[in-house]
Amino acid sequence: MSKKKRFGISEALTRGLSETINVVENNAGIFRNIVLPLSRIELDPDNPRQLLVSLAEVKGGVKTDDPLYQRKQEELDRLKELAHTIKSSGVINPIVVYKGSESYRVVAGERRCLASILAGKQEIEARVFNEKPRGFELKLIQWIENTAREDLSLDERLGNVRDMLREYQNQHAKTEVNATLLKGITGLSLSQSTYYLSALHAPDDVQKQIQNGNIRNLDKAALLAGVASSEVRSRAIEACISGSSLKELRNMINQQKLLKKNAQVDPSKRGRTTARINMGATLKSDVVKIIIDSVVAHNQYDQYMDLFSRVNWKDLRQATQAFRKLIEILETEVVV
Amino acid sequence: MEIIAFVNNKGGVGKTTCSKLMAEYLSKIRKMRTLCIDFDPQCNFSHQYLHMEIDPSAPEGLIPPLHPDYDSNDPEDSDWDGRSSIAEIFYGQGVIPYPTYVENLDISPGHAEKLLTAESVRRSEVMEKVHKQLANFLNAPDVHAAYDAIVIDTAPSKGPLTISVIKAATHIVVPSVMEEQPVQGIYGMLQLWMQESLMREKTRPLQLIGILPNMFKQTRLHKDILKSLQDNTSIGKYVLPVKFSQRIVFAEVDAEDSNPRSIFDFPPHHVAKIEALEVCDYIAKRIFA
Repeated sequence: MSKKKRFGISEALTRGLSETINVVENNAGIFRNIVLPLSRIELDPDNPRQLLVSLAEVKGGVKTDDPLYQRKQEELDRLKELAHTIKSSGVINPIVVYKGSESYRVVAGERRCLASILAGKQEIEARVFNEKPRGFELKLIQWIENTAREDLSLDERLGNVRDMLREYQNQHAKTEVNATLLKGITGLSLSQSTYYLSALHAPDDVQKQIQNGNIRNLDKAALLAGVASSEVRSRAIEACISGSSLKELRNMINQQKLLKKNAQVDPSKRGRTTARINMGATLKSDVVKIIIDSVVAHNQYDQYMDLFSRVNWKDLRQATQAFRKLIEILETEVVV
Repeated sequence: MEIIAFVNNKGGVGKTTCSKLMAEYLSKIRKMRTLCIDFDPQCNFSHQYLHMEIDPSAPEGLIPPLHPDYDSNDPEDSDWDGRSSIAEIFYGQGVIPYPTYVENLDISPGHAEKLLTAESVRRSEVMEKVHKQLANFLNAPDVHAAYDAIVIDTAPSKGPLTISVIKAATHIVVPSVMEEQPVQGIYGMLQLWMQESLMREKTRPLQLIGILPNMFKQTRLHKDILKSLQDNTSIGKYVLPVKFSQRIVFAEVDAEDSNPRSIFDFPPHHVAKIEALEVCDYIAKRIFA
């Protein structure tokens, strides 16, 4: 007899049902996606990305007598490119905002807002947090948002990490910040986390060049930050600014370190401290015999003559033992 | 005031029967002032309590009867045709619920033509014209003052009418026959629940009471499908521990000349009454805890 048929719902349907339930259970009430009028949105002045162009400049253009005219104009051109894609395909990822009293404050998506205004849009799709994210969450969202961006400067990224770690410490008192912690928060690799922390704690000369935009590469910044000698560091910073690759910088720093080390070393001080005298070694047992005969010929030691008279000097082992015995006797007789 | 909706985009799973039992339980057993709303253009729920009439302009559709309070000689009623359906909310008209033969139970009936028109408005207009209208109506202070509970029967669809119910509801129950196609209907409803839940503020979540096995038969098919839903860790939490069995008496009481007309008027030991009490009691406890 055939086995009774068993019924059940399809795998696809089971998966669809359970996934839908999980989405609601994990996300309901945290945020919602809505379409917002752009006029109700304001930018976050504390976002680590210090926008080059202001809303007024987006609307009215950059003034030619502006000292940052060149850079602002470039930024505006980039925004215009984004505006062009927004015109044709809309904003693909919703911006992230939280609700203030009258307006919505942008957590992530400032460039998309400005570009949408340039594109002549009235509204923008947004993910709305029902309440203002707490300090750390806010910085983390901005970090996640900014991390994929190529046009963010090293200084802005470091500022972002610094703010994020500060907020984390505010919320988790007395937590020691190390690379493993940063890795855990951001999902960066351990080596990247280490580089960020090194760069954050870099000496002032390195920090200054990062702020000026002269050092733009994290790996280079971390390498330079690790150079203890200010002299070597100063040369490496110069090389970095003039365009040396990471490999070149590393070689240069290693060479400099080596040169410095060689110049300073006193040969007499090299190696481990000498605490005893090595009596050396010889293949000729006659050498040992001459030394021993000379010593016992001395009046003070003639009493030991018989002790050495029985040594077979052709046997190296017996010769060695005899020599050791002599040393032992001399140490006792002389030192004491 | 709690708003309970029975939803499933598959037809014939017993949404109307469940709505009717729940409405009668709340009004008769719990003595709550209850309003039934029929949001299905087929108007079956309305037909339970009112003599729905054929619409002369759309012979296939039903329209509500003249309202008992309507007086054609009263000057106050001069600009009213004497009929009022829930569909008036889409036309800026007032909704005047009808009393029923059950104490504490009123109904705002459907209107086939008007509901179908609301369902077919252009996509760009749907949001304002349909989606929010039921919530706006039910949030009105006079509705809150007049009723303790609202029970809504919905159309077998995922369209604008059902979405407007989902937007207005505080609780939803998804009745389903334990067969593949109706269970697919559950998926459609859970999708709407998800979309709505992600839009709502934390303070007023849309609560999914759960999946209510309906017209359950002790067959391998029904038992196996119920078990496969219960055994899934995510879905299992939402399968209600009570169920309605397939009983001809649930259909018999729908007949106009049935006596008694409500399951709750049956003798205390009647198996259908015991089952209806158990299911409705469970749902009510979850909602009015």
